[in-house]
Amino acid sequence: MKPVIDIRNLTKHYGDLIAVNDISISINKGEIFAFLGPNGAGKTTTVEICEGIRKPTSGSVHIFGREFSGRSKSIRERIGVLPQEYRSFERLTVKETLKYYASFYRRNRDIDEIIKLMDLDDKRDELYKNLSGGLKQRVGVAMALVNDPDLVFLDEPTTGLDPRARRGVWKAISALRSEGKTIFLTTHYMEEAEYLADRVAIIHNGRIVAEGSTHDLILQNGDGYTVKLHGCDKKHMVSLGWKAKVAKNNTVTLHVENPNDITRILSKVVKEGMIFESMEVRRANLEEVFLNLTGETLEGEDAE
Amino acid sequence: MRPVAIITDFMANVKMWYRSKGTVFWAIAFPVLLMLLFGAIFQGQDDVTITLYVQDMDDTDMSEMFISSLEERLNIETIPSHVETDKYIADNNIRAALVIPEGFEDTVHMAYQGSNDTVSLTLSLDPTRESVNGMIRGVVAGTLQGWNNEITGAENILVYSEESLTTREFKFIDFFLPGVIGLTVMTSSIYGTIFRNTKYKKWGILRKLSTTPFSRWEYLLSKMLFMTFISFVSTFVIIIVGVVVWDISVIINAYLFVIVTSAAFAFSGMGMLISRFVKEEETADSAGGAVTFPQMFLAGTFFPLEMMPAYLGQIARVLPLYYVNEGLRDAMIYGNNTSAMNNTAVIFAIAAVLFVLGAAMTTWTE
Repeated sequence: MKPVIDIRNLTKHYGDLIAVNDISISINKGEIFAFLGPNGAGKTTTVEICEGIRKPTSGSVHIFGREFSGRSKSIRERIGVLPQEYRSFERLTVKETLKYYASFYRRNRDIDEIIKLMDLDDKRDELYKNLSGGLKQRVGVAMALVNDPDLVFLDEPTTGLDPRARRGVWKAISALRSEGKTIFLTTHYMEEAEYLADRVAIIHNGRIVAEGSTHDLILQNGDGYTVKLHGCDKKHMVSLGWKAKVAKNNTVTLHVENPNDITRILSKVVKEGMIFESMEVRRANLEEVFLNLTGETLEGEDAE
Repeated sequence: MRPVAIITDFMANVKMWYRSKGTVFWAIAFPVLLMLLFGAIFQGQDDVTITLYVQDMDDTDMSEMFISSLEERLNIETIPSHVETDKYIADNNIRAALVIPEGFEDTVHMAYQGSNDTVSLTLSLDPTRESVNGMIRGVVAGTLQGWNNEITGAENILVYSEESLTTREFKFIDFFLPGVIGLTVMTSSIYGTIFRNTKYKKWGILRKLSTTPFSRWEYLLSKMLFMTFISFVSTFVIIIVGVVVWDISVIINAYLFVIVTSAAFAFSGMGMLISRFVKEEETADSAGGAVTFPQMFLAGTFFPLEMMPAYLGQIARVLPLYYVNEGLRDAMIYGNNTSAMNNTAVIFAIAAVLFVLGAAMTTWTE
């Protein structure tokens, strides 16, 4: 089966700056694919080339098996887009906004159904300008669905939202998974990629540095597991035979590769009669994967 | 009150201002432009050129001498003696004309021999231009008086009678109303287009639209139609006020519709051209002002072009608003269809060019 999006050797220059450097990705039908990277990594440039807003310096983008440069109306009929930092018409209601965009397409999905799917029932007659940031983004996602698209582009759909509003948008995007939509998502939030994506590509300085499922990426590039014991003595921990870091608040942190080591630590702690207030076990996450691969954090800072 | 917060906010605004190159440019360029403009309009009133058309039916040395006397203070243009005066005036949109009748020289010669016969010149004036008319009357009456003194010492053998160029009685408000319509269509179309395009660009609406099957031309056309609708709403509100409050008699005909539609398209196109170079909303206001203000004052909106130096009158003739104002006056007030048609053709052509240019310069995508 042909991929829904097939990006081949895509490169984009802005003068001397290479924003996207020879990247190739394929996204399959029904997949939620996340492009994860800090600001300026090349995420939006790539997605905007795929949407036909920008032109590549070299390389190609095939959508639904056809090369797409933005001109094909038949492809535009089948895609839905939420641009980055989008704001809609302030003096239109939610329903009016959706109707406005729906009017451009031959194929339409029932507006009331979209409103329900995005959990905007009680806001349907509210003016856009009166909505909170989270609701505005949900309207943005809803707008991308008016033509019942086969492929949805969501460019940083939760940037600038508080955690609660972010979760609301995630819930709305998750609802699309059950409908089998193919979604190309960009984000610089590691939790967002972990929560939503079937597959993640990590982009850094215009290049893809890793690609795969969240689980595989962490397994291949993560640091195993982090065990934290709060309120105990470092001397005891050192005697256990593991390298430990102790914070000022007497929290001991250990990194282990193998999940069996966690059981061993716990057995020894109990055997030695060591006292601690609480224990926390955390698997490595995409933030650590990104750090390991690039030497930077997702906020774009160098690791110490 | 927290003075530190106020100072911080103030400094942040100063920084944001000077980092916006466009805002800084227009903040300086706009007042300079206004200074140049108003300086040019009001400096050296001696330079003001007022045109009087003269038809010399006598065609003698004496009548030529009389015309030369007028020429010292007025710009004289000639109406050929063989043409029908009223038709020529109407066809050429003439606002001030003097007819020297046959027998002018004979009457002067007879007066030298003691005759008291008089000869009457006909001065035709556009009553809507009262400030200019005053000057023309003064020059004509003064010149005739000088000649009378020279010929007879006291008797007025050379006199003039005045006619209105139109059969209706006009007031300044008749001149003003079409100007207000032209001005309103211009400002709403230019500002509306610049603000909308700048805002939509910033909010990502244009990017979003570019990913839909809605084409750029469809979008532009719908915006033009919207501006045309707004222009007609304004036009009819202005006409209603003019009719109800000022008792203006307005002619509503096809020219009015074509001119207002063309004007809305022309000025929206102009707005599109400008918004191509305006990146921030803060700059939009100044950029719009830089285009609307000169037209407002140079294109005969508030006062006739003859009140300005001749070279500014020439500049006015390259401004679209001039043709809108003149066309609307001809169509709605004077009922001069020939001149209305000419002005309509010009503004229609300007609209076509500006719309195509504006549309070509408006980009959604990279």
